Amino acid sequence: MIVSAALCPSPPLLASELTGRADILPDLKAACAAAISHLLAATPDVIAVAGAGADTATWDPSDRLDLSAYAPLAEARGKPGLPLALGIGALLLDEAGYAGPRILQAVDESAPTADCLRLGRDLAAEAPRMALLAVGDGSTRRGPAAPGYLDERAIPFDDAVRQAVRDGDMAALAWLDPDLARDLMATGRAAWQVLAGAFAGARPTTEISYAADPFGVAYLVATLT
Amino acid sequence: MLMGDVEPRPLRLGKKQFPPEQRLVMAIVNRTPDSFYRPGDTWDTGAALERVHAAVAEGADILDVGGVPAKPGPEVTVAEEIRRVVPFVAAVRAAYPDLVISADTWRHEPARAVCEAGADLLNDTWSGWDPRLADVAAESGAGLVCSHVGTLTPRTRPFRPVFTDVMADVTDRVLGLAERAVQAGVDPARIVIDPAHDFGKNTWHSLELTRRLGELTATGWPVLLSASRKDFVGETLGAPVEDRLAGTLAVTAVGAWLGARIFRAHDVRATRQALDMVAAIRGDLPPASAVRGLA
Repeated sequence: MIVSAALCPSPPLLASELTGRADILPDLKAACAAAISHLLAATPDVIAVAGAGADTATWDPSDRLDLSAYAPLAEARGKPGLPLALGIGALLLDEAGYAGPRILQAVDESAPTADCLRLGRDLAAEAPRMALLAVGDGSTRRGPAAPGYLDERAIPFDDAVRQAVRDGDMAALAWLDPDLARDLMATGRAAWQVLAGAFAGARPTTEISYAADPFGVAYLVATLT
Repeated sequence: MLMGDVEPRPLRLGKKQFPPEQRLVMAIVNRTPDSFYRPGDTWDTGAALERVHAAVAEGADILDVGGVPAKPGPEVTVAEEIRRVVPFVAAVRAAYPDLVISADTWRHEPARAVCEAGADLLNDTWSGWDPRLADVAAESGAGLVCSHVGTLTPRTRPFRPVFTDVMADVTDRVLGLAERAVQAGVDPARIVIDPAHDFGKNTWHSLELTRRLGELTATGWPVLLSASRKDFVGETLGAPVEDRLAGTLAVTAVGAWLGARIFRAHDVRATRQALDMVAAIRGDLPPASAVRGLA
């Protein structure tokens, strides 16, 4: 069963090697680090990282993000093709010093909700004490300067996600519309629905530690118990 | 004299050591009333100190203080050169204990006095005209710039200079001077070579030296590029001295790409930016901040 869970966003800029000499969004990094600490504090047997990918597939736990795909001069030591969300999740676990068992679970970014929920239930059953890190982002269309430009549905969508997380309302997460999420370039939808499946109808206690869109993409960091 | 490509040599100036991939800005501070660019601008001591503060704030790694213009003109005696430069260098040293200070001089008497006042490098633009300059560098622990001026004597202009191969001539001369400096006891890690654009050369020669600067950097000795607002830039672009910044920065960028390590400059901030841009393109310096496409 799930003993702890966390939501983190997946911008590449969380990898410090990619952002040059500046320390970008230290408050977001601190919130992510605290969220991982929350996972570790529950002394899980295994931590599963769930994030969107091209297919639903399990990656090797030793795989890491290929930073050279983003910055060609970066050392090419990661796994080409590893989905960004899994790479960021793995990075956050590494930065926390976590060396225990992990599952890197990609979920098809366009997977129907039912498939996501089922995947979540299966992950929760992997070990007596499971932790789940759901990695993904809200909409990318929150304003004219946002990477995806403005879509007026973006802010209500992100508000709904935040409300659901704040209330521990897993059913509300399960209600998120995959088509709308795709339109809004919200990469977190599938992972959040995996999370909803993992809690299997329970209403976890939650805490949101970061919710902002400093570059036009909605980032949400939260812990769930 | 030409050798195959060798590893870049370490560079030590003053108390600092600079790795090969670090490109240094050498800010010009003239203690003269009659230098070619903005004559008399820093003739007043207060104005000169202000220039120093500004240059440091804009990213200068080295100051180059000179008391005698390169061009012909009224005689500047040894005593007058010392009067212009030495108290000023002492004041800069007091204000900036760790800043690398270079003295642009070719005579050993001012050189000795300025080293005693705290200078770290002797920028001998006139190519060893006074052989005792190397002795002063050795005695004081200062560095030495070994330059090329063809057949010129100090403060004269080129008159129909010819070279069979100007880069070969430059290389022979500067490596010969570097070897002589080492024999005189100058720390090899404090020796810099300078092709000296415009000095004893026409514009075609200076363009050739720029194009082939990689041959000089391949010797391993740190190369000083001194091109700021010079006549070869002006002739190339048909631009008066006030309008030579863009041309200077183009020379700077090409020189940096080809491995030059010190850039003598009037325009510190613009030069620093051009060098940082080249460093980032080469992969020696990450961008100040990269967020585009990564959010």
